[in-house]
Parts: sequence; structure tokens; C-alpha cells
Amino acid sequence: MIRRPAYPPRETVLIMRTVLTSLIPAIMSLTIFFGVGVLLNLVTGIAVALLSEAICLKLRRRPVMPALSDLSAVLTGSLIALSLPQAAPWWLVIAAAASSIILGKHIYGGLGQNPLNPAMLGYAIMIISAPVAMTTLWINPLTTPDLSSALMSFLGHGNDAITGATTLDLYRTEFVTMTAVEIMRHPLFQRATLGLIYGYECVALAYFLGGLWLIYQRVITWHAPVGFLATLVVVSAFFSFDPDTSTPVWVHLIAGASIFSAFFILTDPVSGATSPKGKFVFAAGVALLTYLIRTQGQYPDAIAFSVLLMNFAVPTIDHYTRPRIIGRKTSVRGSGGHL
Amino acid sequence: MAKYQVRRCDRQLEGGIHLEAFKYMSTIEACIFLKTPSILSFPLHFSGGGPGDPLVQVGDHVSQGTPIIQCSSGVIHAASRSGMVTAITDYPITHASIQTSKCIVIETAGNNIRDYLPPLDWPCEPSMIVQRAVEAGILGLGGAGFPSFKKWADGIQILIINAAECEPYLTADDTLIRIDAKSMIRGASILSQALEIPTIIIGIENNKPEALEAIETAIAESQFSCSFDIVLVENKYPSGGERQLVWLTTGVEVASGSQSIEAGILVHNPGTLTALSRAIDGKRLTDRIVTLTGDLITSPRNLIAPIGTPLLSLIRATMTDPEVLDSVTIGGPMVGYSISKYAAGITKTTNCLLARDLKRKVENPCIRCGACASVCPVALQPQQMIFALKGDSLDKALHEGLVDCIECAACNAVCPSNIPLAEWFQFGRFEQDKKDQEKNLASRARERFEKRNERLTRLAAEQEAKRKNRQGKATDALNKARQAREKIK
Repeated sequence: MIRRPAYPPRETVLIMRTVLTSLIPAIMSLTIFFGVGVLLNLVTGIAVALLSEAICLKLRRRPVMPALSDLSAVLTGSLIALSLPQAAPWWLVIAAAASSIILGKHIYGGLGQNPLNPAMLGYAIMIISAPVAMTTLWINPLTTPDLSSALMSFLGHGNDAITGATTLDLYRTEFVTMTAVEIMRHPLFQRATLGLIYGYECVALAYFLGGLWLIYQRVITWHAPVGFLATLVVVSAFFSFDPDTSTPVWVHLIAGASIFSAFFILTDPVSGATSPKGKFVFAAGVALLTYLIRTQGQYPDAIAFSVLLMNFAVPTIDHYTRPRIIGRKTSVRGSGGHL
Repeated sequence: MAKYQVRRCDRQLEGGIHLEAFKYMSTIEACIFLKTPSILSFPLHFSGGGPGDPLVQVGDHVSQGTPIIQCSSGVIHAASRSGMVTAITDYPITHASIQTSKCIVIETAGNNIRDYLPPLDWPCEPSMIVQRAVEAGILGLGGAGFPSFKKWADGIQILIINAAECEPYLTADDTLIRIDAKSMIRGASILSQALEIPTIIIGIENNKPEALEAIETAIAESQFSCSFDIVLVENKYPSGGERQLVWLTTGVEVASGSQSIEAGILVHNPGTLTALSRAIDGKRLTDRIVTLTGDLITSPRNLIAPIGTPLLSLIRATMTDPEVLDSVTIGGPMVGYSISKYAAGITKTTNCLLARDLKRKVENPCIRCGACASVCPVALQPQQMIFALKGDSLDKALHEGLVDCIECAACNAVCPSNIPLAEWFQFGRFEQDKKDQEKNLASRARERFEKRNERLTRLAAEQEAKRKNRQGKATDALNKARQAREKIK
């Protein structure tokens, strides 16, 4: 039994390494259900992230090796790669990873200075500039591709038979004309047991376990994941109680990037709110926006935009969620005129 | 017969950090008296109690206990051994940021002559106790060096003896209690009777069983009819911080910007009370206990040394070659500062000399992980303050609560990026103090300027009036003369 450490890891690189380790179960289950395209994305994403980081550091005349070895670029590269469609072509992965590092991180001054979540910025840029590739190249876990077909997709020769929209996207477009029972007949839901889908379910579970491990290791706290998932459940249960006319709660939770984002995206300390209360508020805000954009907007998933929007709100959240300083009657609120 | 009860503290420190204590290092060897060194030095302005004036001249002979420095606060510092004043000159001092300052340098004589004050017979006038503390040069020996008598007001409800000594490596208070708990209990009893303090609490960390036993024995043997409440606090840094211990032992949260004394709570270090007890017997404060420890010290131990002893003599007394030490830390590993001029003499607040082999750690950018906030005993958000300070915005850091920082450096200990947060906060507070002073100076200058202007205008007006008066008189005289001339005509 590994004892829970009393404090967070004492080195930045250890924090990054712990997060990367906690992604392993999810990467494994993704590879099993969605094919080796996941690994191709991952390797390319990490390589491009490191290369972009090195180039940026060189241009900024900063020491390259210390910054590369802190694993922060590896983590950003992994997170953006895991957010992309599994049958994404190479250029999509490269563009996403490069924009994450260059436009999401170094343009603001590198590690610790970025106001926005780099991976989500990369994702948002790609979904605006390459919407078709970003929405139609998701693998159906029923038809897991073999190595050669995964390679073909990666090289840009996708096979329409095995790719399509995500379950979340599918449900959103189909409930307009169909009932819940009819939607469930779609191939994407075919191997469903108890209303859940093996592939998506397992991946969500793997992310969930990885997230619990991070909380146990004190790398993250429970506030952001709980704030996000609880708000999402409450809102979707309240407004989407009828599966015939709206996306049900379980699809909101299991499909799409909900669990992944709850533990790995919203918990980014640099671009997120900083106090425990702030983290909760920040995550609840992301959940509200996610639900709104998923149900009212044009995009299949909405976490990237929601996170970016809430990133803009972080300074304000931080101003109003400070803990009470011991010895003072109330907590300090507002910016005090210092922006 | 004094009474006591021991209880476990049931309150939790906000934040705080469990640190490896390393206390065993310096408590294995017995505490010994240091041989009188050949040179002693006493900084005029940094002996504690504010800037001072010399009471002796070069060439004067002094005994142990001869007053040599009169401080602005009234405190009188005495020579710690007999000898001759050889110089009053710039000399290295033990100070966090100042290298040298004006010091009285004494060359000690072979035979020591002691100069006693007349012993006091308790019970006596409470004012006599205060007077004695001033004459004996008693300061807070815990580290701040604040003149103790300045805190002795009427209406104090609780006296807390801060025996927590939460900082790693330090064992000076622990050792002092083990060898002389009697004096501490006597000092506390007399002080509480003199100031009519109803409650005495002893706050001690639960990792000092020997000291606790010594306290219990001392109380049982005490002739004073005082009652002591011994509170065992968890071994967690910084439970021995004044505000933290007050909260842990009494549940009183000292308000931001005020001192615990303003809440009717007097906190003293064991050393201070022991010194008070001895002062009542006529002995001025001339010696103190110092911990010499760390993995570079060959034979770590506690030493009782005369105030003014050069660091070099202390280091040599532990069989350590001073040449191998790049620097030593004065104070503990958390709040101490490093110094490399070993000719400097110890002051009344020097409780520890620490020599460790420190690996230099590379500082990385802050990633706002919040580890610092989770251990801050004041519930500050260091990650926000450091961002403001590094961005050159002192005002923003103040808005985030910089003034409430107790500089305990718990944040430094957990920072994954190795950022020296506490040093930044110290710097920020220093800058703020400087600004306040400048503001004071500026406002005083403006006041002076306005007064001068007022005076000048008033003078000008007076002169004008006088001139008009004179002119009027002259005109009158002229007119009269004219009238007289016309009459004659």
C-alpha cells in the first residue's frame, strides 16, 4: 500500500510526471477501444509540443534543456492529443499541438504565465479552422481499426465506414427527429448494456481512476472535479430529464470529454482559479457553459470554449473567493483597484 | 505549593507543516559553559531595545554586569565579562542585512569580577520589578528582542510561556527548561503576581517529554501559589509562532495588525522568564544559551555563552573547523539568516547557529499549484502575492494581505518550484516600511513647509501693519506740523 503523501510533490517535474502517469490507464483503454490512432496522435503531439517549446525558447533566448525536462510540454502535448479525434490526420495533430504551445503558452511568457489553458486553446483553434476533421473523424468503438487502417487515417486517407460523430454529437442531432429508443438502435449504441457503452464507459472510468489517483497524490484537489461534475449532473438532470427530447444525463457525463476535463483540464493550476472555493466556482461555471453550448450551440462538445471563457473570468473569481485571512473578520473582496 | 494540569490541545493549526525535527542532534551532548573568549563585542544599535549610546569609553575597565550601553527604549546592556574596552568602532555584527556597525569591543581579563545589583525581596512594589527588568537588560529572548517591560501593562488576563520551540534543529529553550525550569517557573510566578495575571499557560510541543517532566517537577517544588495550565500542542510548524500559540492555547484569534498584548495576552519565551528570575536575584542578563547544530558541526550541542562571544569561539567549541563552513545560519532553518563573518558577536536574541550542507536548488516559474496556500498558517495565498511582487506591484501584494504574513517560511518548504517566497515577502514588507517612513518624512516636511509659509506671511503682515502704523504716525506728525505752521502764519 502506498501511503498518501502529506504534501504535494516537491518538484514541478514530479507534479507533471504524476499527471502523466495517471493518464496511462486512459491511454490504454483508449487504444484498446479506439485503435492505435490514439498512440499515433499521442507520439506526434508530444514530439511537436517539445519541438515547438524548444523553438520558442530559442527565439526567446532562454535555456532550452531545463524547460524541456520539466515535462510541462510533454503534458500539454499529451492532453491536446487525447482531445483530438482518434482518426485525426497528421496535420491536425501537428497544428493543434504547435498552436497549444506557441499561442497557448509561449506567447504569454512560458510556463506559469498563460492565462488560458494551452490544450483547450489548441483545440478551439482547430475546431474553428478545421471543423469537419474535428467532428467527423471519431472512431466508433464497435469498429476498432487495426494498425494499417489507423495508419491510413493518420496519413489522411480516412475510412468513412469506421468514423463519424461522437455519441454526444449524434444524440444531439438525432433526438430532434427520433425517440430515445430509436436513437439507441444506432450502431454507436449497439453494444450498450444497461444504457451505457463499453468503449466510452471504460475510457471515462479510466480517466476517473486517474483523477482519483491525482487527488490521492495531492496534485489536484477535489474542488474542480466535484464542482464541474455536480453542476453538470444537476443542470442536465433538471433541464434534460426527458431522453426523447434532450440529451440525457448519462450521455453528458460518459460521452464527450466530461470526465477527462473534470480531472485533467479544469485542474490546470496556472489558468484556473486558485483558492479552493474559486476552483469550485470556476468548475461550476465551466459546467454551466458546457451544458448551454452543448444544448443551444452549434458545436458537438463545448468544454474547450467553456474553459477558455471561464479562464477569462479567473481574475475576477480569484478576487471574490479569497480565504479569510486569520485575524481578520472577513475575507478581502474585489480587486482593490489593482488589476 | 503551585498546582498544574496538563492537557492536550484540541485545536487545529490553520495550515502548518510537519517538518523533520532533527532535535536529537544537539541534545545528545550535555550543555556546557563556554570558556570566556578573549574578545567580546556589543553592537551599540543592534543589541536589542533600539539604538543605543555607549556608557563607557575606550580604556575603561568593566566587570561582568557593568552597564555599557543605554538604549533608546531605556534598556541597559551590561558587559558580559570583566575586561577593558579596547575600541568603540565599526565591527562585524550578527544581523540579517547589515554587515558591520558600531560596536563596543572588550578584551576580557583573566579573572572575572562580577558586579551585582542588590537582590530584590519578593513581594515588593511591582514597579521595582519593571525597574529591575530595565536595569538588567531583559529582552524577549525568543528572537524579536522586544524590551519585555514594554509589554507589562495593567489588565493582562493570560500569561503564556511559549515553550513550543517548533522550528527544527533548535533545542535552546528545551535545554534551558531541562536544566533550569525552576527559574522559569519562579520568573513566571513573580511576574504574574506583580501584574495580577490570573492565568498562566505553558504551551509546549508534545515532542519534549524531558522538558515537560522538568516543568512538572519545578512546579511541584515551587513555593508560589500559582496554578499552571500546561497545553501540549501538536509538533507542527509554526505552532510556536506567537499568534499561532495564542490561538492553539486560548482560542483567541489576535486581530490583524494588532499584537496579542492588545488582546490582554502576554507571551514570553522561557529564557526571558528565567532571566527575570535571575535579575531579581541581582544578576544582569549577561549570558544566554545557544544551540550549535547541523550536519557540518562536528559535535553539536547547546552552550551557555557570554553575550558578545564571537561566532568563531562557539564554532571552535564544537570541534568544528570554521574554514570548512561557507556560512552559518543564525536562527533556525526556517526563519534564520546566513552570515559568513565569524568575528561577529552573539546578541541576546541569537538562539542558534546552524551549519548545514545545503544543495542549491534551481528556481522554476510559479505554476500556482497552491501548495504554499495550503500550509500558510494565516490562510494567505502566497501564489498571488508573489505574482504581484514579481510584477513590481507592492500595493497589490498588500491588498492580498502581505502585512499579515508572519514570515514563517512554511511556504518555502513546500514550493515545488523552489521559489524563496518568504524572502520576497520580507522584501515587500521592508519596502512598505520604507515607503511609510518616507511618507511620514514627507508629511512632516510638508507640515514644516506649511508652518514656515504661515509664519512668513504672518511676519510679512505684521511688518506691513507696523509700516502702515509708522507711516500713519509720520503722516500725522507731518499734518500736525503743517497745521502748526499754518497757525503761526
